[in-house]
Amino acid sequence: MDEASSQNQLGGSANPAGVANRQNLEEPSQRIQYSIPGILHFIQHEWARFEMERSQWELERAELQAKIAFLNGERKGQENLKNDLVRRIKMLEYALKQERAKYHKLKYGTDLVQGDMNPPVEEGGEEVRVDPDAILSTNTNVSWKQSRHLLRQYLQEIGYTDTIIDLRSNRVRSLLGIDGGGNEENHNSTPAMNGSDTTKRMPDANRWNVTKKTPSCLEAQIQDAERAVIDNFEFLRSEGMEMDDDDEDDEPEEEDDVHRLKSPKVPKVALDVDDVDGESVDLDPDFRFLPDVEDSSPGVLGFGPGSRRVYGPGGEEDALEGLGELAQLTVTNEADATYDQISSTKENFRKTWTAKYTLRSHFDGVRALCFHPQEPTLITASEDATLKLWNLQKTVPAKKSASLDVEPVYTFRGHLGPVLCLAMSGDGDKCYSGGIDGTIRIWNIPSSNIDPYDSYDPCVVGGSLPGHTDAVWGLTYHGQRQHLLSCAADSTVRLWSTDARSPLLYTYAVEKDGIPTSVDFVYESSNQFVCSFNTANCVIFDLETGKPVTRLDTETEQGSSSISRQINRVVSHPTLPLTITGHEDRHIRFWDNNSGRLVQSMVAHLDSVTSLAVDPNGLYLLSGSHDCSIRLWQLDSKQCVQEITAHRKKFDESIFDVAFHPSKPFIASAGADALAKVFV
Amino acid sequence: MADQNVVLRRNRPGTKAENFYRWCDEAYEEMDSTLVVQQYIQQTIRLDHNNIDTILNAPETQDEGVWKYEHLRQFCMELNGLAVRLQGECQPSTCTQMTATEQWIFLCAAHKTPKECPAIDYTRHTLDGAACLLNSNKYFPSRVSIKESSVAKLGSVCRRVYRIFSHAYFHHRQIFDEFESETTLCRRFTVFVTKYNLMSRDNLIVPILEDESAGQGESEA
Repeated sequence: MDEASSQNQLGGSANPAGVANRQNLEEPSQRIQYSIPGILHFIQHEWARFEMERSQWELERAELQAKIAFLNGERKGQENLKNDLVRRIKMLEYALKQERAKYHKLKYGTDLVQGDMNPPVEEGGEEVRVDPDAILSTNTNVSWKQSRHLLRQYLQEIGYTDTIIDLRSNRVRSLLGIDGGGNEENHNSTPAMNGSDTTKRMPDANRWNVTKKTPSCLEAQIQDAERAVIDNFEFLRSEGMEMDDDDEDDEPEEEDDVHRLKSPKVPKVALDVDDVDGESVDLDPDFRFLPDVEDSSPGVLGFGPGSRRVYGPGGEEDALEGLGELAQLTVTNEADATYDQISSTKENFRKTWTAKYTLRSHFDGVRALCFHPQEPTLITASEDATLKLWNLQKTVPAKKSASLDVEPVYTFRGHLGPVLCLAMSGDGDKCYSGGIDGTIRIWNIPSSNIDPYDSYDPCVVGGSLPGHTDAVWGLTYHGQRQHLLSCAADSTVRLWSTDARSPLLYTYAVEKDGIPTSVDFVYESSNQFVCSFNTANCVIFDLETGKPVTRLDTETEQGSSSISRQINRVVSHPTLPLTITGHEDRHIRFWDNNSGRLVQSMVAHLDSVTSLAVDPNGLYLLSGSHDCSIRLWQLDSKQCVQEITAHRKKFDESIFDVAFHPSKPFIASAGADALAKVFV
Repeated sequence: MADQNVVLRRNRPGTKAENFYRWCDEAYEEMDSTLVVQQYIQQTIRLDHNNIDTILNAPETQDEGVWKYEHLRQFCMELNGLAVRLQGECQPSTCTQMTATEQWIFLCAAHKTPKECPAIDYTRHTLDGAACLLNSNKYFPSRVSIKESSVAKLGSVCRRVYRIFSHAYFHHRQIFDEFESETTLCRRFTVFVTKYNLMSRDNLIVPILEDESAGQGESEA
């Protein structure tokens, strides 16, 4: 068929060429030889040309359609505008008439006869308003102004700056041919236009998007801003999040979207995870209604939903590994919804931590972990008697989950029982581990780029520090002094130096205060350390003399039983004279070093607090607990800024240790489920 | 350690070594976590490490694949003790290859091409490789259900791990005996692989089952 038609054309075009010597055609050099390849070539050529033209036409058609749609939208907008203005005019006319009547009455004492004194608001509104899907038809001026103002605020927050609003208002002004005189009205009406645009998102969402997309009517500067706005909204819409909210729920939901938009990184990660597992998407509607329950003011909610957002990835991990976890996930959330401590600050910029790396290789619970001072590497110590060195840059390609799996670079074997605590030297060359066998072992850390299956290098084993006679529970290293402090269940605290000849510098016998559970150097002053006990005592000692300097005032706390008074962990603030303790009774308490008095006590978790870490700048506190959650607190306001659910329970234990990276934005948690997780 | 009515099974900081895990046992049916099997196995071992049959007998409702998997994890974990002891004595200069009897030289499978590692390297690499495999998200993504395709991996892990026992038995007898008397690990492992058919009988060259009484006598002397 094609051949026939093109043959005709060939015949048509061949004829003039066929006539001898008419060589002023397209290819004079080519004698028209009707060879099959030539014909085929010609046909293909024409076909390609037609296809190209067809696609061009399609493009043009699409463009024109878009333009039509846009113009339609504009027209609708203008009509609405006109209707509003007409209504306004009518209102003003009515007001004017009333004024006249009043004036007349006052002047002449009689009523002025006027026709048509009925306030035209309702009817006029009905008549004029052709467009049925306008939601703001019955708003009075006051509430209208309020909602307009609110919308303005929202628009501002998403970056739809005043310049854009002004530009649009100018455009409208020029369209209406009004200047100066009707300023007030225009100013009112343009936000109305914006307002009408945004409140009518449901039916007009598509239209609005199309409106934004075609750049023909917009100026170059607005394009970028609007594109950014579109991108944000687009991606929100494409992820299936509902933009069409009820008006009543508009406020808190708006805050959700708005705050999410402020930190686009977070929703992208979380929602990518949602794509992978449909289950967590189902959880979303539940989460979104939680703010409604406890909504007091929009500002407070800021990161309530944000923090719940993080359950996405956290829940992901567990959903992949065990189904029982999902139920537990929602339970924890419910409890947290009523939990007072979770509140947010009103800062606009917030980084939310999400799970990035999962370190799987241990066979039993990971009891301690420690980051390298500079490199993105960390060491974990486990109850399976090994320590492992991990390089976060060497991840295993895993397609399933959003978080990357990491395999260890080196395994340190030497302990003969669970390893309970870990400390890294200041330069990252050595690490120290204490175990249940009472030994502290020194390890020379190999480079993090070695082949995990290299030959065994006995130099890695750096010796051990004998001295303790029972399980060593706490180890801490002081970078400047190059001293190591350890505490053990034999009720002693020992100070060691890294000098190999006589490592043990001092033994502090502290039995009268109980069994020490954790030690830390006091960084703010030069010569002290703080030690916490299982009897809820917490004492600051002098390093030289071993005598107690300050006794933190823990006696005033009501202890129910001796176990619940145990302090699990004590950390000293890097710069302030502040000591922070994590207790078995779910509290975190802050103490002043100089007076020993309690600065603040707060219920931090649903179960005992097991570990604390202060970030290197001294601004945030991380706490881990046996309730399977880690919480990030801001130290000045003592408010929880994020909660992450991680790790599963073995027996009744869940999270053993948390840590900050000294120089990079990493935080890590060590769990009883033999996993360590790193968050960025 | 009982606090009012609730027993919290925790090893809190400050616990003495002898008090570690010193809580009352929990019945298998009452355990409520995703790590039930591991908890149960560790509990039974703590009660009596010689009681191999109790340790290896799965509770009735337990999925067999998961049972084998968790036991293998436990074996690899406990083998660290043997590896640590060997680390001191088994030098690359004395044991240049991984052998047991004179017949076979075992090549280390942890490398891209199987390599003739010295014995201590073989031991470490095998244990590290087993840790990676048993924890890998690809083959064992869940701890409550095992994919059918991954069950075969358990057999190969068992085979390699067994060589550590055999090398220790034939070349480092004293260490082996000490370790065995402490943990009964080799015996338990042999019974485990025979019970679940994870290795062929010919490979079980350590004469542990008949030799047990003789071994005991030696370590006491």
